[in-house]
Amino acid sequence: MAKQPKPSSKKITHADVRMYRMGTGDCFIVKFFTGENKKKDNIFTMMIDCGTWQGAKEQLTKFIAHLKEYVAEDREDNVPTIDLLVVTHEHKDHVYGFDACSDLFVNTVKNSKNFVVNKIWMGWTENDNPAQPGDVLTEKVKQWKDEYGQRKKALNATAQALKERFGSDEQKIEADSKPNGLVAFQYNYADAVNQFADLHFSARAGVYTGDLEGMRVVKKEIANNNITYLHPGQIIDNVVEGLRFYVLGPPTTIEAIKKESGKDGETFSHSHNNSLTDNDAFATAMLNLVEPQSSGSVLPFDDTYIKDEKPEAYTRDNWRSIDHEWLNSAGSLALRMNSATNNLSLALAIEFIDSGRVMLFPGDAEFGSWESWHKDIKWPIKGKDGIKPLTEDLLNRTVFYKVAHHLSHNGTAKRQGVEMMTHPDLTAMATLDYDIISDGWKNTMPNRDLITDLLRRTKGRLVIMNENELMVGQDSGKKSLHEKILESREQLMNSAEKADFNDALTTEDLFLQVKVKA
Amino acid sequence: MTSTPRPPFRKLRGYAFDPALALQMETAPISTIVYKVPWEDRKTADSGTLDVGPVGEYVEVIDYDPTVQKSYLPVDLNNEYILAQDGLDPSEGNPQFHQQMVYAVVMTTITNFERALGRRILWATRRPGANGFEDYVARLRIYPHALREANAYYSPRKKALLFGYFSSAPANESIQMPASLVFTCLSHDIIAHETTHAILDGMQRNYNEPTNPDVLAFHEAFSDIVALFQHFTFPDVLKNQIQKTRGNLADQNILGQLAQQFGSAIGNYGSLRDAIGEVDEKTGQWRPKTPLPEEYRTILEPHARGSILVAAVFEAFINIYKSRIADLLRIASNGTGILTAGELPVDLVNRLADEAAKSADQVLQMCIRALDYCPPVDITFGDYLRAIITADVDLVADDSRNYRLAFIDAFRRRGIYPKGIKTLSVESLQFEAHPRESQNPLFGILTDFLRKYRNDVMYVKDRKETYTITQKYMGGDEDNDIEGLHDRIFGKFDNDGEFEKLTGLVFSGDWKDFGINASRSNPNDPAFEVQNLRLVSRIGPQGKQVNQIVFSLLQRSGVKLKQGIFDVDAPVKEKHFDPSRRTKVREAFVLRGGCTLIFDLDTLALRYAIAKPLLDTARMAYLPQSRQIDLKTRKMDKARIEQQYQYQHGIGIMGMTDYSLYFKNALTHGEPFAFLHNH
Repeated sequence: MAKQPKPSSKKITHADVRMYRMGTGDCFIVKFFTGENKKKDNIFTMMIDCGTWQGAKEQLTKFIAHLKEYVAEDREDNVPTIDLLVVTHEHKDHVYGFDACSDLFVNTVKNSKNFVVNKIWMGWTENDNPAQPGDVLTEKVKQWKDEYGQRKKALNATAQALKERFGSDEQKIEADSKPNGLVAFQYNYADAVNQFADLHFSARAGVYTGDLEGMRVVKKEIANNNITYLHPGQIIDNVVEGLRFYVLGPPTTIEAIKKESGKDGETFSHSHNNSLTDNDAFATAMLNLVEPQSSGSVLPFDDTYIKDEKPEAYTRDNWRSIDHEWLNSAGSLALRMNSATNNLSLALAIEFIDSGRVMLFPGDAEFGSWESWHKDIKWPIKGKDGIKPLTEDLLNRTVFYKVAHHLSHNGTAKRQGVEMMTHPDLTAMATLDYDIISDGWKNTMPNRDLITDLLRRTKGRLVIMNENELMVGQDSGKKSLHEKILESREQLMNSAEKADFNDALTTEDLFLQVKVKA
Repeated sequence: MTSTPRPPFRKLRGYAFDPALALQMETAPISTIVYKVPWEDRKTADSGTLDVGPVGEYVEVIDYDPTVQKSYLPVDLNNEYILAQDGLDPSEGNPQFHQQMVYAVVMTTITNFERALGRRILWATRRPGANGFEDYVARLRIYPHALREANAYYSPRKKALLFGYFSSAPANESIQMPASLVFTCLSHDIIAHETTHAILDGMQRNYNEPTNPDVLAFHEAFSDIVALFQHFTFPDVLKNQIQKTRGNLADQNILGQLAQQFGSAIGNYGSLRDAIGEVDEKTGQWRPKTPLPEEYRTILEPHARGSILVAAVFEAFINIYKSRIADLLRIASNGTGILTAGELPVDLVNRLADEAAKSADQVLQMCIRALDYCPPVDITFGDYLRAIITADVDLVADDSRNYRLAFIDAFRRRGIYPKGIKTLSVESLQFEAHPRESQNPLFGILTDFLRKYRNDVMYVKDRKETYTITQKYMGGDEDNDIEGLHDRIFGKFDNDGEFEKLTGLVFSGDWKDFGINASRSNPNDPAFEVQNLRLVSRIGPQGKQVNQIVFSLLQRSGVKLKQGIFDVDAPVKEKHFDPSRRTKVREAFVLRGGCTLIFDLDTLALRYAIAKPLLDTARMAYLPQSRQIDLKTRKMDKARIEQQYQYQHGIGIMGMTDYSLYFKNALTHGEPFAFLHNH
């Protein structure tokens, strides 16, 4: 059976943070120890997400099998057991593993012990049956989720429409042979929108089947009435002795959820995406393609002005027709949905109570979420010195940072995020793998400025899932990121730090692991 | 049939700016105006040009909405009821009014343009056309309801304007109802902006290639400038705003603002762009914008960067206007220059409005004229400043009101300096006139040919005929035994080092060593293109007449780099590739060189050669004791190559929006002229 948090005479000494290398996406096991004896001293095991961009079940199986062995190895009963499973948000790169390898996680026979999860945490937005109907926030969220669901459907419809028009095998052949041609542009565009769509929902043979399967598996098959939905501002210290959890996100305002980036100096972004707006007119027309809507809601004008035939000139000059152009608005829809879902990430700060050192797991939170940690959360207490705002203090004390959103420009706030991570022991882990990633993402991940800043702050203790092929710097100063990391470690750490880090880091084919001192 | 003369105008009612003004008390009286567009006769089997649609000589409005796969009934502007009331009533709910509005504004913009340019405009041709060559495009196509998003664009590929509509999400809900539909085809500014993109594309086809951060920004800025200065042609709006600002147009006013309704509908406080000020998001208060030179170095997104140029031109305008009204203000204030409190007298408002309209018109003319003095590729704001100054010097001998200084000063305050200029003055900014004397005899023969061209096109009224004649003069016409400009130039300047130094392009026998591709008609000759042959005749305000023929030469070179460095002395194979083929080398691209040549028909001389060279012309030297260029001193322009590479592969990325980052190629192979690049 599960271990209960027991009053122990021994204090937590360290945590092993293990990142599985399944491809761009998050899958972490965090074990907490009260000493160096692995078997005896492991008092608590967390799992955070299990996803990757893509991958066949066969490939993923070896990771999951390894993971299960790892979580079973310290236990007397040898049952793979997770004390606390955190599912940050519903994106394929965070939950796909539960879907592809569901048989490895689900206990098909009652009371079987294929995989045991004692407790599950999710963000408050994941609660499909909120307890208090009538509550303003609950209602607002319900309404928003309904609309959001409609948008997901609309995005799916667009992705399908684009695929049908521009995604044929012949088009792919032409796209490959003329990579800068129009066909290539259309093909790649259709592909990019489809990949965004894949992030959000399950479709089988092109038929929309609802929310992501991985999420469903967790909620319906792994969970056993043991999901807790968390709100920002909660402080939880009754899970295991010596640890305190601070819930930072997801934010409780729709505005914060929609916000993808901030002003100059706030994000590592040079883009101007602040005016992203929701556009019902587009979503309605899109939905109309799959589920005919009433003409009053779809048509912009009275019936008297409308006729069904195309104008003669339109049909005659084929090269000037515009049948598909409007589908390109799907790009904006996809980006907005992506940012909004990222901002729904359950973001946690885990504090070692005795030392005050903090591990930060923000999921894929984007700027709107980061900003809300400072702006919207009303903490009951201040920072350690009794003066500093708590969020800022937690960031100051962060010694381990799971980089949000795979090193993208908008995944880490600048002024209200990384610039507050001033602890000399800071180590960062990023779940970016250039071999297994959507082509579209490659342009935004990694963000050079963010990498440069993190390398400086961590003194090179930036651990990336797979940095092959990645380059930093420009022109003559261009070098591989791998070299740059090694160089930073060499130059910025003193000899004691180097020895510690070498000791803390474990590199294996299947995973990377760092030891974080309590 | 009737002796009544044909009317000069067709009057069409429309929104002065957009429907938003009609909802506010203080602007409601000026929210609609009557556009006067050139009269077109009703189209019949054998005469007239204006058909239902409206489909006219220049444009065709096709109201098909692909988002619902429906058409909206087209308006017949010749319908007698519609004619009798100056067009349909402005209305958001009537698509036929939408059609009328786009037609009215597009035609107004075209008319203003032609007046400044002194010739009729042609749309960009379709390349390749139906038969693989180049097709003449008679009409710009307009789709008033083509997209469902907060955007509109000119599509260079379809020679069409696509307007979007969307449900609004305003920051200030008292002005814009949330989720109500906003139509971009009802905004004067958006229509004028997109039309200008189309006109500019017809004049300078290569300005949609982002070879440096200024190119696309220039397209945006220029389109904004035309839209903005068109505001000053609405007399009632102008007088209203002069009264409101008490004659000080540097104060907040709607004349200097673009796309009010659109701006607030997508969540801005107020207009989308403002040439003189901005709204402080914290206080909600408007404040004037102070020019910051570092913005020109750091802002790369085309619209935002374009705003820097717009602000510079607008400031020049404000200062010209101020100097023109200084005496009026003194007269009206008993010499103090300080007006007494209270409303301005109507007479003064009228006079100030006159001066404002005149200044605006002159500034716009200067901006449009300058287009003929721009290089055909790779334009920068600095080039444009030089073009403005040079064009003005050519036409206006005596700059008694210091218009040129107003421009130079406004550009200087924003850190926009042309490259290679040591001081900023009218003299140093002018392009070099009269290139070396030795060239003139050679060009003399060419100018005879060009004169003949002038005589052939001067009185042609039909746009298609102008196009056809011009094509013949550029490419030659075997049927009529005309040797075209292209062959003449090559015949004349083959192996002429001097001409290469002038144009920065390669015509000598060793062209293959410079990565030039072979001509399609003759594989032994280097390929180059003659573009945009045009006749320019203008009369300046002091009666000075300018008669010029202008055309551009373009050439491509395939260049390869190694880690961002172009080695000019490397073996040919390592630094060049054939630009007509594809290369697999990662650090390689096709560099375009070009030169605009301006001939004066009165003096029979080449007046200017405005070049973006492939060759490093500064390093080209003469043989000792000779007037011959030492051909060995010709090297590629290393700095230009590396800068372009760096922009397109490095810093350029930073200026791109998420949208183009995620969806690749959107900047070049999608639509480069969207009203908003944000998505």
